[in-house]
Amino acid sequence: MSGHSTWPEWVYIGVVVALLVWVGAESWNVERLVDHVPADAEVIKVTGQQWFWTFEHPDGTKEIGELHLQKGKPYKFEITSKDVIHSFNIPDYVVLQDAVPGRINTVWFVPKDTGEFPIQCREYCGLIHYNMRGTLYVEDTA
Amino acid sequence: MRKIFGLSCILTILFVVPTVQYVLAAGDEPGEYLDRRVEIWNLFFRLMTVAFVIGAVVSGTLIWLVLRFRESNPKAKPTKYEEAGEW
Repeated sequence: MSGHSTWPEWVYIGVVVALLVWVGAESWNVERLVDHVPADAEVIKVTGQQWFWTFEHPDGTKEIGELHLQKGKPYKFEITSKDVIHSFNIPDYVVLQDAVPGRINTVWFVPKDTGEFPIQCREYCGLIHYNMRGTLYVEDTA
Repeated sequence: MRKIFGLSCILTILFVVPTVQYVLAAGDEPGEYLDRRVEIWNLFFRLMTVAFVIGAVVSGTLIWLVLRFRESNPKAKPTKYEEAGEW
């Protein structure tokens, strides 16, 4: 073995391992918090298809290309696709989830600000992908 | 003594400070309606802070190493292999 002291190397290994553990633990914790859907969340069925979004409310009302929600109320999106893989994205609310044919993915959020927010497809899905957009209208609770 | 001091500084920074911070922030745990924007962007900024600090420390160490052990440094002395003419 070499004759030099190895403690700085062990400190270095310790620091690296501790930082990696911290990064993993922080990410896991935030994912756990974000994935926890409130029990009273209203379910909105979201369907992506080339090249538009359809939204279905619990009462059966359907909207195409636009979605009207109420401020301060939790919503759970059940997202699927009819043809190819899309990705449902509301950038202003950091909502992003793939829409996969034959599978239902979920994501939830609470709109905190009223206004109009863009909805867009985030997975290249064909010729008109760039224009597969919608609008989220957040309205004050009546 | 210096080793123990250095080691305790590192351990304090790595474990004690985050633990204290975690305990103090315990009341701030988001409720049922957390704002995912806040959670996700805060995580992003925390991880970016760590990434940039590590980058600064690693590149700083390398710069110091290159400057300190260059041949033209007045403090430089030959290694035992160079002294023995083996290299």
